[in-house]
Amino acid sequence: MKPRSLKPEAINTGSMADIAFLLLIFFLVSTTILQEQGLILKLPPKPEEQNTAKISERNLFKILINSQNQYLIRGEISPDLSGLRSQVKSFVMNRGAIPTLSDHPEKAIISIKTNRGTEYQYFIEVLDEVKEAYYELYGEQVGMTAEAYRQLDQRDPSEYQLYLQGKEGLPMNISIADPD
Amino acid sequence: MNTANRFKKKNQHTAEISTASLPDIVFLLLFFFMVSATIKTKEEMITVEIPKAQALTKVDQKSLLREISIGLPKSSRYGSSPSIEAGGRIISLEELPQWGIEQREQLPEAQKDQMIILLRADEHVSMGLVSDVQEKLKEINARKILYRTLKETGS
Repeated sequence: MKPRSLKPEAINTGSMADIAFLLLIFFLVSTTILQEQGLILKLPPKPEEQNTAKISERNLFKILINSQNQYLIRGEISPDLSGLRSQVKSFVMNRGAIPTLSDHPEKAIISIKTNRGTEYQYFIEVLDEVKEAYYELYGEQVGMTAEAYRQLDQRDPSEYQLYLQGKEGLPMNISIADPD
Repeated sequence: MNTANRFKKKNQHTAEISTASLPDIVFLLLFFFMVSATIKTKEEMITVEIPKAQALTKVDQKSLLREISIGLPKSSRYGSSPSIEAGGRIISLEELPQWGIEQREQLPEAQKDQMIILLRADEHVSMGLVSDVQEKLKEINARKILYRTLKETGS
């Protein structure tokens, strides 16, 4: 009797892993990882607060999208957005060289105007192309790709410095006009 | 005889890999997912197909984000025209400024002007409604907007 009770009884923990896996799978299925990413934009203030500075026509890059989701870029009908990015880049970085394009990057404004019937995704496509063009310019200023530039961690002092250096002198002036 | 015995004794022990630490590893994974994820507390009332884009920016301060969805309602109780959902219910355009002000009140004093509106709009929704929402947001001076998009794969 005595030697029997002295023997330590081991609890089988083999199924512990299974239980934990079950819990893990439950949480995997029932949760969504926070993924707040998208295109950030600052809307203009209400008209009464706006400062109505005169903008010369050459500094305005107009993109219109009609209710049939067709693009009108600088007065020309465009079937797709393939050339838009390079067009925006040369417009912004013109620095007064060609009379029809902007005379300074800081004055260049990209205006996107939609119709009330335009589908949201076409607007996003245009906004994305314009933002991408700016990010490519920012990247070029610090010798990076647009993708790498966006990945810069602003909390890291040295990367924040690069981030500021890329933006230097190139404000992202995107204007969203009220639709017709 | 003696040597044979010694070998035999050794071979009786079968080498087993200890799995005692396996639960610990799995629990560690479990805690990681519990911390990094949020539970879906409410069922979405609107179907939103998010458009894709490349030039994405990530927002780090998640406490500043307030979400508005625009899309077609899932249930026919709310009609079949595109609607706005904020704070877990369908609201009308007129209620939107009130909602925005309430949301801003929840932020700490120093961050009241930094509220970012996370706009989740369906890709087929018309710009008319989206711009109406933007107009209402301008009224209450909530002008920072994050258009929620997905990462474009390929190209």
